[in-house]
Amino acid sequence: MNGTKYANAVGAVRAMENTLLGKSDMDQLINARSKAEVNSIIASKNGGGAKSEDLEDVWNMLREYAPDCKELEILLYRNDFHNLKAVLKAIISNRDPQQYYISPSNVELSVLTEAINSKEYDALPEYMRDAAAEAYELVTRTLDGQLSDSLIDTAALKAMQKSAEKFGGEFMQQYAKLTTVCSDIKTAYRCCLLNKSSQFMETAVCGSEELEKSELIKAALSGTEGFFGFLETTDYANAAALLKDSAAQYEKWCDDVIMELADGARSQAFGSDPLAAYYIAKETEIKNLRILSVCKEFGADKETITERMRKLYV
Amino acid sequence: MTNGLVLALIGAALAALLAGIGSAKGVSLVGEAASGVVSVDPSKFSKVLLLELLPGTQGLYGLIAAMFILIKTNVLSGNAADLTVQQGLAFLAASLPIAVVGLISGIMQGRTAAAGVSITAKKPDHNGKAIIMAAMVETYAILALLISVLMILNIAV
Repeated sequence: MNGTKYANAVGAVRAMENTLLGKSDMDQLINARSKAEVNSIIASKNGGGAKSEDLEDVWNMLREYAPDCKELEILLYRNDFHNLKAVLKAIISNRDPQQYYISPSNVELSVLTEAINSKEYDALPEYMRDAAAEAYELVTRTLDGQLSDSLIDTAALKAMQKSAEKFGGEFMQQYAKLTTVCSDIKTAYRCCLLNKSSQFMETAVCGSEELEKSELIKAALSGTEGFFGFLETTDYANAAALLKDSAAQYEKWCDDVIMELADGARSQAFGSDPLAAYYIAKETEIKNLRILSVCKEFGADKETITERMRKLYV
Repeated sequence: MTNGLVLALIGAALAALLAGIGSAKGVSLVGEAASGVVSVDPSKFSKVLLLELLPGTQGLYGLIAAMFILIKTNVLSGNAADLTVQQGLAFLAASLPIAVVGLISGIMQGRTAAAGVSITAKKPDHNGKAIIMAAMVETYAILALLISVLMILNIAV
């Protein structure tokens, strides 16, 4: 009876999926002439579900329905570690971390701030403790914010992989792997462009079964030609070609591969995968609406907007 | 009360018990999935209710088989037959098809119907397809009931 404990949650999610924006809705939004028209299309679709701009509502709803959130929490690790970076920077520069805090998150801002201020890292979830202590020590010793950020980003990816292995099924493991690969390629390419040292890359690149850390670093150290040459020999040759042309297209590819993974959960009746897929779908929808809004504001033409739209779940 | 009658009553109890457990598990699983849908969209209540009812039939089949045993052995009339051990074992054996198939098919039909709830949630117009797919599992419970009843009716008392 694998996954049947999620039967109630999956039923609710399937009903909520009807409020997601589909391709025809997106086309209508792209063709909309005014912001009022955009808002009315969004309102007509989201009457029964969470507000489209508020991912926290979606997360709270999923948490309410899911009998066990341990696996789903992996989806929020990136936010957790982003917030860790925000708190560290705020403490160092004596600012309020609230403005940099993003939600939903597994760790409340007050808990995070208190733990870092008091150096009581045990108050944090296990997957964050070492990274928080190490990053705090690094940033206070070197004042190198970039290195500390890299350390935290890598720790986030490692935590995702580790937790996915421990609590997650195939879907979540694949999600962690793809997120790591996308991030590693981008990081290694930036390091390559900025001629970063191998020591920096050791901290900034996470590595995975798909793309080994040492090979990626070696390729990045050999220059852009060598870097793309290496990627062409891997399963990510398409991604390399896009990255070579435009960082924006590569970002879109990263989002699209995650959506393709989520798409596989559409036919599953049990388990937590449909819940995770719905969260990813909502996240992507919100991202699409933001892109649309910015494009409209800057008067981008329909072709440009369509080109930038991420794959949809429905 | 003879040992034979005890065996026959065990058979009747198993038919009602196992098939009932199968139905209870199946209906509860579909009920969970259906509640999830209705909590978000109450207008789909009647459509998901049909799916929830499907795994409930195995419990009824178990009850029918048990009733046949009780009637055949005159337990209901208060004048229970003096059955030999062989006759008792025959009733026990006759109850097994619906008891075992009722248990398993009830659970499996619950899974199929719970999956069908997703179809109803997303595409209410295709509700009939979800019902047909879940109803396919019913075939085997009916076949098992048929065999159980034929065996019970043909045991010489």
